[in-house]
Amino acid sequence: MALTHKAGGQGGRKKVQVSFVIREEEEKQHRAGVNSLQYDPLLDRLYSAGRDSIIRIWNCKNPKDPYLQSMEHHFDWVNDIVLCCGGKNLISASADTTVKVWNAHKGFCMSTLRTHKDYVRALAYAKDKEQVASAGLDKAVFLWDVNTLTQLTANNNTVTTSTMTGSNNSIYSLAMNPPGTVIISGSTEKVLRVWDPRTSNKLMKLIGHTDNVKALVVNKDASQCISGSSDGTIKLWSLGQQRCIHTFRIHEEGVWALAVNESFTHVISSGRDCKVLMTDLRNMSKPPVLVCTEKAPVLKMVTTPDQAGIWVATSESDINYWALPKKDISPVASGDGNDSDVCDLKPYCSAPVFTIKGAPAIRKVHTLNDKRMILTQDSDKNVALYDVLEARKLEDLGQVDFEEEIEKRHRRIYVPTWFNIDLKTGMLTIHLTQDENDCLAACVSSREVGLTCPEEPDMRVNYGTVLLRALLEHWLDPFTKDEDAEIGGHQIRQIANDFRLVRVPGHTPLIFSDVGGRAFHRLLVKDAGGENESTLLKETVPQWVLDGICDKNNPAKNQFPKIAFFLQPHPSTGIKHMKKDRLAANDFIQMFKVAEHVYEKVLGSDGNSPGSERAEDPDNNIPSKDRVELLCNDEVLPPYMDLRTVKHFIWKSSADLILHFKPIKPIPNSTQRS
Amino acid sequence: MGANVSQLERDIGAEQFPPNEHYFGLINYGNTCYSNSVLQALYFCKPFREKVLEYKSKNKRTKETLLSCLADLFHSIATQKKKVGTIAPKKFIARLRKEKEEFDNYLQQDAHEFLNFLINHINEVILSERPQNNSKSKMNDSSSSQQEPTWVHEIFQGVLTSETKCLNCETKSSKDEDFFDLQVDIDQNTSITHCLKCFSNTETLCSDNKFKCDNCCSYQEAQKRMRVKKQPMILALHLKRFKYMEQYNRHIKVSHRVVFPLELRLFNCSDDAVNPDRMYNLVAVVIHCGSGPNRGHYISIVKSHDFWLLFDDEVVDKIDQSAIEDFYGLTSDIQKSSETGYILFYQCRDVADSKLSNSEPKVNGK
Repeated sequence: MALTHKAGGQGGRKKVQVSFVIREEEEKQHRAGVNSLQYDPLLDRLYSAGRDSIIRIWNCKNPKDPYLQSMEHHFDWVNDIVLCCGGKNLISASADTTVKVWNAHKGFCMSTLRTHKDYVRALAYAKDKEQVASAGLDKAVFLWDVNTLTQLTANNNTVTTSTMTGSNNSIYSLAMNPPGTVIISGSTEKVLRVWDPRTSNKLMKLIGHTDNVKALVVNKDASQCISGSSDGTIKLWSLGQQRCIHTFRIHEEGVWALAVNESFTHVISSGRDCKVLMTDLRNMSKPPVLVCTEKAPVLKMVTTPDQAGIWVATSESDINYWALPKKDISPVASGDGNDSDVCDLKPYCSAPVFTIKGAPAIRKVHTLNDKRMILTQDSDKNVALYDVLEARKLEDLGQVDFEEEIEKRHRRIYVPTWFNIDLKTGMLTIHLTQDENDCLAACVSSREVGLTCPEEPDMRVNYGTVLLRALLEHWLDPFTKDEDAEIGGHQIRQIANDFRLVRVPGHTPLIFSDVGGRAFHRLLVKDAGGENESTLLKETVPQWVLDGICDKNNPAKNQFPKIAFFLQPHPSTGIKHMKKDRLAANDFIQMFKVAEHVYEKVLGSDGNSPGSERAEDPDNNIPSKDRVELLCNDEVLPPYMDLRTVKHFIWKSSADLILHFKPIKPIPNSTQRS
Repeated sequence: MGANVSQLERDIGAEQFPPNEHYFGLINYGNTCYSNSVLQALYFCKPFREKVLEYKSKNKRTKETLLSCLADLFHSIATQKKKVGTIAPKKFIARLRKEKEEFDNYLQQDAHEFLNFLINHINEVILSERPQNNSKSKMNDSSSSQQEPTWVHEIFQGVLTSETKCLNCETKSSKDEDFFDLQVDIDQNTSITHCLKCFSNTETLCSDNKFKCDNCCSYQEAQKRMRVKKQPMILALHLKRFKYMEQYNRHIKVSHRVVFPLELRLFNCSDDAVNPDRMYNLVAVVIHCGSGPNRGHYISIVKSHDFWLLFDDEVVDKIDQSAIEDFYGLTSDIQKSSETGYILFYQCRDVADSKLSNSEPKVNGK
């Protein structure tokens, strides 16, 4: 991929987080709502911008199997797209705060503009000049020359932009006329601001809406524009007279999408009320035609050039193509002609001509107690089981009861939370950070969690370390072979031996961003070894990740969370109460270790305890877990239960934990008990 | 002191002196003016006084609580033979110091913190004294007797509703919360009505403070505002006059001039408000005199029958209604010391004369 617009940079003092997406290698269907559409009449292709962060290309000539390709490089909602240069290039705007330039025919990302500081919401296109404007929640409007953007390379990566200043509110809609003589923004300010993009001068403010302005269209000579607002109205404005000519009150809720024909005689509108209405601008007293009713709020509509049909994108993942009525058709009203109440209208279409099927989005998630497996439920109520550590789906459980599946998998084990889950794209995004849920907080026994075979020696492993190593495996590989290689003050070679406890799928997208969501870098796990990526990663991978990966050199590893506890003889033993020592141990210490301590140190120091007979003990190889029993709240503790689980599930109090011990008389001739 | 007492009676005039009314100053036990000023204001909130006296008559021999001490104090004022004089709230202060560590000293305290503590504490005492069988019988449903409003709730409790609209999907969500008083930020040369309007201004949650929208499954911009859903019988308004200033590392008094009218109507009620047209009358004001939160003095002015009285610990004076203006605050920020309204007590007009329990429809706890 080519490089960045320098002005944005990756500055900022915020902490860098590492994120990855658990998904299929190829995601052929949108997984959540579709925010924007563009139609290429030359190739009869449709481009769709998904909330799942993916832009997809569809072949409209093949409605049975329309999928052509995915364009992946954003890592948050793609909010808007425009097709330019006669269909050769596509510009996209995303909630990851970037604007990207794509080769539309081949589907790869050519460059990334990082000038915006918040979600980029809207784009506008001046066809005659090949100019694109971008705007968003950072209140800024930038104007870009497309021909300059498409020529950016790694070395030539700066581009100048002109800025339209004056907006003090988040911008949700933007429009330019084809000759590029005006640029209009709609924002939470409730007014339309108009600039001359040639001079960046403010031209006017159009006041009248009472809520956010979410959709804008302007005619070719910039004499008129139409705005759709969250206040439920559509307004037709005369830019020459700087006034509102007409207000259409035809929608029941916010108007989010507008489409006009080139001659500006008809406007099609829709939004939160799901109704697609066509209004004749030459005869504004005529009630609108109800084209169709969608199943979900409408986000974007594009018509075919011959105005025969319209593509409609909603907050759900299907994209529908509906037939449009002839322009001079009179509405099919049930009442008299003056009745503009659209509720009474029969829709022109009862079913779409065809549908590009989307897939369900993951909407609910539950992390199981092992803090490794997670259960999800999607918008079709399908339940699935995932393994976060290996970044893959384990099992589709079908449409089963979500709560029941959680209950079924409940285990009495306590592991600290070490990742955050994000469902914004409808797929699972896992964030690893060093904030409240510290990615390096969870240490487990490798045997207990099945990372090593029972025959192999048990190791204490840190989930975060294991996963970070797996995610960056291909990048780290060369370093493990080089004696002198050092990254961030660590010699990677030293960790070569226990390097690969798990592997994650190579297609897994890996993202470095600040915690606020501004992306620095996105790559696939399998590509991390490439020359360019490797160099980039050297600059991008934060120090805390390197420290985490090189667990062995990590000074912080001696600072594992400790749990304080008291060891006392169980009242039934009759052993008189010894001195009350407050002990502290790592939270993942297992009970057999504590039993060893009791056997060797506590009982061993006591004259009348088994310790004193140890030398003569014929069964010297009886494990101490079979000599000492530990109890908490009168419940016998299994030898492999760890301290934090005891505290969390059995002690159930924030007060210091009290463990009771009880010596077990060795049973003669018995060797091993389970 | 004696001269002053007779002066008050002379000022009011024997003819005009209301029957069954007593104006007694409270002795200061070492920086206890924060308590004295609030107690006088509460005494002249008639619905509250009546309920406290009713509690006294119904609970003859209870174990000592802050409420029983308050009831004894109010009772002893109300049953004095003389019409004016001074009383020592010794038992109440002693109990207060036992109940809360923070008040167990001779330091100046914040009158609002005291009011807040007192109202909540009294409420808890009432709840704890509710018959046991009552609470047991309702144990099975989660809204047990604890939820049943007490007379403290009926007098002071209002409901605020915070409405949030996601700017992406435009879904509205709202959350109700109970309040005993409203704490309002103040601006220079404004009025209470303006401050309450600002209190309910729409706030946009944006940039790093976005709203996690359940419907969008992501962080989005949102608009949020707080409005009054249920107006209380007595509206206590706390003017936030002590502002933490980072550069000084301490709280600084804000002496801004904020006009508080004798009659008030709330214009920041929600669309589904229970009683949006309520009119309120000003009945008492706790006034802070001085330059900072930990220095200075508290006094109170109250309306009794048709005239205004100023209570300054043991001293009671009749004042002109026009003198209230003196406590609005300062128009310039130069002077550091000021005498300013700090807690305002407004009583709603529709219950001023009628009986308390009938007029207040039962609102179940949310």
